[in-house]
Amino acid sequence: MLEQVTRLGEYEWEVPTGTVPGMRVPGRFFLSDSLYKSLESGAVQQLANVATLPGIIRYSMAMPDIHWGYGFPIGGVAAFGLDTGVISPGGVGFDINCGVRLLSTPLRLGDLDRRRELIETLYQSVPTGVGAKGPLKLSTGDLEDMMVQGAAWPVNQGYGLREDLDNCEERGCMAQADSQAVSAKAKQRGMPQSGTLGAGNHFLEIQVVREIYDPGAAKAYGIHPGQICVMIHCGSRGLGHQSCTDHLKVLEGATKRYKIALPDRQLACAPLSSPEGKAYFGAMAASANYAWANRQMIMHTTRVVFGKMYGIDYESMHLVYDVAHNVAKIEEHSHEGKRVRVCVHRKGATRAFGPGSPDLPPGYADTGQPVIIPGSMGSSSYLLRGTTIAMERTFGSTCHGAGRILSRSAAKKTLSGVKVKNSLSKEGIIVRAPNDGAIAEEAPGAYKPSAEVVRIVDALGISNLVARLEPLGVIKG
Amino acid sequence: MSYEELDHTADIRLRVRSPTADSLFAETALAMMEIVYGKSRPGTVERTIELEAGNYENLLLDFLSEVLFLSEVDYIVFSAATVHITGNSLQAHLSGEPFDPDRHRGGTEIKGISYSGLRIVKEDEGYVLDILFDV
Repeated sequence: MLEQVTRLGEYEWEVPTGTVPGMRVPGRFFLSDSLYKSLESGAVQQLANVATLPGIIRYSMAMPDIHWGYGFPIGGVAAFGLDTGVISPGGVGFDINCGVRLLSTPLRLGDLDRRRELIETLYQSVPTGVGAKGPLKLSTGDLEDMMVQGAAWPVNQGYGLREDLDNCEERGCMAQADSQAVSAKAKQRGMPQSGTLGAGNHFLEIQVVREIYDPGAAKAYGIHPGQICVMIHCGSRGLGHQSCTDHLKVLEGATKRYKIALPDRQLACAPLSSPEGKAYFGAMAASANYAWANRQMIMHTTRVVFGKMYGIDYESMHLVYDVAHNVAKIEEHSHEGKRVRVCVHRKGATRAFGPGSPDLPPGYADTGQPVIIPGSMGSSSYLLRGTTIAMERTFGSTCHGAGRILSRSAAKKTLSGVKVKNSLSKEGIIVRAPNDGAIAEEAPGAYKPSAEVVRIVDALGISNLVARLEPLGVIKG
Repeated sequence: MSYEELDHTADIRLRVRSPTADSLFAETALAMMEIVYGKSRPGTVERTIELEAGNYENLLLDFLSEVLFLSEVDYIVFSAATVHITGNSLQAHLSGEPFDPDRHRGGTEIKGISYSGLRIVKEDEGYVLDILFDV
């Protein structure tokens, strides 16, 4: 598979049509020489598989955090025409609207005493890990409202500020949500889990702003050197997982009904205009809204903990932005000289809308959308901004994280959780997790260097660096 | 239990070997429980699953999804399973213990069971399954 790849530029590579039978467009991905060495044949195969889907426009693309997933590669981006194209859960993933938000505080590094106590209090306040139950007793009506209103639901209940909604992608709510398309099973799973972090690579991290690359943009985003911030990474919990499972099954039948030939069953799909495609889209949007409400409630808990411990006002902690990195959205983009409405799938990729784009809050309109790239545990995270180049080249998309290079089992074999925890502790980073195995699986050594991934997107211009944040403490599921 | 973890960068890929299709399904469900919750003890909480699907692959996916669902909503860690497959139908009996945060909280959450790379092959000594869990 890798022998088919041709190089187009310093950071740009092509998988020609014909690499996999039935490819309708070429594959394109972005990588540096050093990251190319860790490119898996399976990821290239998946990139090529996506190119066979009906109605795909321009390219099947992958960002520099490309790696081997299921269905789409992780880091995958593909846009489909509304009349001719399809929608596929394989281009979104089981964790619908897995995403990241960044909360800024008025605290500086010197103000952050009792750090271990802070991490412990957050760990006790935010339910984490397998089997965790959320703080709220939701009624059936509450859950319905949450799926329809998204982040606005907790804000209306007093768990946030109106300004929080301005600073979420889609204002924290996809209008196409159809809670009727979400099964009773998915609702049953979602009911007790709202406000929980989950497990795996999900985290809540205390960070300090260590470097500013773009002072103008940093000022617009309210970020300055030495500032304490909190990054929250989680998704739609069991409700989203079950919605994907349910609709995957329906769409597998639909794939046969609409006579769509697929190289991978996980790419099961249906025309966007079909009843099956619309039902999945409605359930996916409802799950995405649940995820925005989830991150909002976790942020609320974080604000309360910080307020109690450091005597700062709830209103003095601002949501910088919230991005989804597993989602499909209807957006308008330029294609062959025309403005067209397309369905953009981002599977482990982040929207990176440039200055003047719709859906940006007025304060960010001239700067572009904030893009939040979490590092792996113990390595830097980055704040970037969306660009016009991204709008022209990648349907307004960029990378979503570091991307793994070591499997979880390999990480556990080669890295000891206790050693990782101790070495992070020596660097001043406190880790709190239910067990040490989870720490080894997510250790910095298991991921590509996040600095290299963001360097490439910055060099390509599909998003530009604004600030670098270093971890001080992290809670994990 | 006879399963090994195959290489996969992002997710968990397993190879399970078992003499019969019935025992293959049961062992895969228990392997999945071990990934999510770690080691578990025998218990007296019981559940029954009955379902139908067009082929072995779909039967397995539906079965595992149902085990995951029951385990999550009823807070049960299944430690034993018996499965009987007849044609397109499956009947399973599972037993286990109640979820205990102190012992079961630190596992790896499985978000979904993928169609990607799913393979059930009958060999001379029995059945071999490759399966990928999104974690």
